[in-house]
Amino acid sequence: MKKILTTVLVLAGLLAGAASAAPAGKMIQVKGSDTMVNLVQILAEEYMTQNPGAALAVLGGGSGTGISGLINQTCDIANSSREWKQKEIDQAWEKGVSPRFFVVAVDGLSIIVNEKNALEKLTMAQVGALYRGEIKNWKVLGGPDRAVSLYGRQSNSGTYTFMQEHVLGNKNYSTDMKEMNGNAQIIESVLQDEGAVGYVGVGYLFDKDGKIRPGLKLLNISKEPNGQAYSPLDKEAVDTKKYPISRPLYQAVKGKPGGEIAKFLMWVTGPEGQKIVEREGFYTVSGDYKALNEKNFK
Amino acid sequence: MKTGQKLVVVLVLALTASAALMAQTATPPAQTFSATVYLDYRYFLSSAGPITLKPTDPTAAYLSNQFVFRRAYFTYENKVNDNLKFRFRLDADNTANVTGVALTGTPVSGTTLTKDDKLRPYMKHLYFEWSNFLITNQTLTVGMEETLTFKLAEDRWNYRSVAKTLTDGYKDITGEEIDATSADIGASLKGTIIKQLRYGIQVVNGGGYTHLETDKYKKIEGYLHVVPVAGLSFFGYMDSEAQQPKTVGTTVYSGTAYTYKLDAYFEMVKGLVLVGEWFKYTNPLKLYRPTLTDPYVEYCVSGWSIFGRYNLIPDKLNAFARYDSYAPNSLVTAKDMTLAIVGLDWAPLHTSLKFQPNVWFASYKDGSQYKSSLPVGKATDTIFYMTFFLSF
Repeated sequence: MKKILTTVLVLAGLLAGAASAAPAGKMIQVKGSDTMVNLVQILAEEYMTQNPGAALAVLGGGSGTGISGLINQTCDIANSSREWKQKEIDQAWEKGVSPRFFVVAVDGLSIIVNEKNALEKLTMAQVGALYRGEIKNWKVLGGPDRAVSLYGRQSNSGTYTFMQEHVLGNKNYSTDMKEMNGNAQIIESVLQDEGAVGYVGVGYLFDKDGKIRPGLKLLNISKEPNGQAYSPLDKEAVDTKKYPISRPLYQAVKGKPGGEIAKFLMWVTGPEGQKIVEREGFYTVSGDYKALNEKNFK
Repeated sequence: MKTGQKLVVVLVLALTASAALMAQTATPPAQTFSATVYLDYRYFLSSAGPITLKPTDPTAAYLSNQFVFRRAYFTYENKVNDNLKFRFRLDADNTANVTGVALTGTPVSGTTLTKDDKLRPYMKHLYFEWSNFLITNQTLTVGMEETLTFKLAEDRWNYRSVAKTLTDGYKDITGEEIDATSADIGASLKGTIIKQLRYGIQVVNGGGYTHLETDKYKKIEGYLHVVPVAGLSFFGYMDSEAQQPKTVGTTVYSGTAYTYKLDAYFEMVKGLVLVGEWFKYTNPLKLYRPTLTDPYVEYCVSGWSIFGRYNLIPDKLNAFARYDSYAPNSLVTAKDMTLAIVGLDWAPLHTSLKFQPNVWFASYKDGSQYKSSLPVGKATDTIFYMTFFLSF
C-alpha cells in the first residue's frame, strides 16, 4: 500500500510538473465543419476586434474532425453541420466531455449545376437518385443529353453525412461521385463541368458583391414530385422547412460554457453575431433553435 | 432441437436477412492504406541487471547502442458503409524468423532450423465489423480481431510505441506466459446499453494470432465498462478457457484458466489521463512438478500498473509516466519485479512523426531469478530509448 501511495505521489508530481510547464492556453481553439469555417472565421475576427483580450483560432477539416477534436479535447469548440451521432456522444461521455450544443446559423443546403444546364428544379427523390448513381444522364430529368458528373464532399464532412441521411435515404453515394475537399472546390468543379451537379452551403454561393457567382445555377427543390419547389435563398421557406434540405449549423462545447467561450457563443447567437451570419449568406437562428441555445447556456 | 441449436438457427437467419438487405445498396468503398512504425535507438544506462549485464567475454554481443525496428504495421481498411468495415493488417517483427529446415550429416542424421533476423510480416488482423448489428449501438466483429483484454487500457496509455500495457507486455517483461494476446480468431459483440454502461463479449480460439487452435476448448471473454460520470470509468473483465486435460500415470488432471482484470480511467481534467490497472491469472495445469504427489500446483500470476499522460502543447508535446508491479509466480515471490517508465512525446513537424525519448527503470527483487549469472539479490536495469514513431 505504501509503495502504491508513493508511486501515485511520484506520478502526480511528474504530471503536475509537466502541467505547470504548459503554456497558459488562453487561445480558444475552434475546429470542424468546412461549410462553417469561413463564417466562423469572420465571426471570430469581428469578435476579437471588439474584444481585444480574446484570442480564437479557427480551423476546418470537416465536422468529424471537430467532433473528435472536442472528444479528445484538442479543441474548445467543435463546428458541425450535422447532428452528433449517439456513438460520438457516448464516446465523449467516456472521455469526460458532456457536450452542449448551440445552433449558430441555419443553412439551406444548395443543389447547384452549371449555368448551361437547362433544368430549373428537382425533387428530393431526383436529387437522391442522382447521387446514388441511379440517374446517369440529364436527359432522364428533362435536361440536356449529357452525362451527369457528381461532385460531393469527403466522408468526414458533416454535409456528406447530412445529404446521405436526409436526401439519399441512408443509401450509399455512387462510386462515381468525386469527393472534394471543400465547398469552394465543388463550386470550381461545377463552373468547369457542364454535366456537373454539386451540393454546397448557401453561404458559398455568393461572390464578394453578394451575387450568385456567374456560371452557377441554383436549383429549386421540392419535397414531393408534384409539390412546389423552393429556393434555398427563400428565407421563409428555409425557416418553415418548406425548402426540404435546410439544416442547423452547430457549435458544441464541453459542458456548460463559461468564461470567454460563453461570451463568444452569446455574441455569436446574439444580434451582432447573427447580423454577420445573415451578411455571409446563411440564415439567422429563431424559434426552437433559439430556445435550445437559451436552455444550453443555463 | 436443443436450445443452443435453435439459437444458432435464429442467428443465422437474422444474419442472412440483414446481409440481403445490405446487399441491395451500391457500395462506394472508403479505403485507406496506412503504415505505423516503431523504431528505437537503445542505450543501456546501467550494466548490472538481467537485461543490461555486460558479458565478461568482450567478443560476446552486447545489445546496447543499437537501432532496432521493433514493429512495422501495414493496415488496409475498407469502410464499405456506416455499418460495414473490413480490416487487413500485417505486422512485422524479427523475433521468430525460421526460414527453413536444413539437413545435417552425411548420410543425413538430423535437421537444423535456418533463421535470419529480417523483419517479416505476419497477419495480425483480418476481420469484418458490422456496426448497428440487429439493433443500434451494437457491433459484431468476426475474424482475426483485437481481443477485449487490454484494448481500452491501451487506448488510454496511447504509447504502444514505447511499451505494451501491463497485461499485454507481461510475458516480454517477466517471461511468464499468461495466455493474454492482443489478437485472436473468433467473434465478438460490443455495445452500449446506456451511456453509463457498455459491454463486450468475445469467443476466440485462445491460442492468439501466433498459434493454431490445438484443442476443442474456446476462450470466453467478457467485460462491463461503467461510466458513472463523464470522464470517470471502471472496467471489469474476465476470461476463462478450459484446458486440455493432462494425464500423469492413470490420473487425469483437468482445469480452467481464468483472467480477472479491473481498470479505472480518470479523464476529467483536460489533457490529463490517469489509469490504474490490476489483473490476476490462474491456470491449475500450468506448473508441473513431477516430484510431487500432486504434480499440478495452483499458483497465480498478477500485477498492477498506474500510468498517466499529460498534454503540454496540443498536437505537439506530451509527457507520460508509468509504474508497473509484477508478481509472476505467487509461489516464488523472489521473481517479483517493478518497472517505471518516464518520457516525452514530441511532434515538432506533424503528428505523423513523433520523437519519444523515454527511460525504463526495472528493479528485480532477485536478479538471479531472471539471469543465472547474476548474484542472488536485488538488481536493476536502466535503459534509455529514443523511440521514433512514424505513422503515414
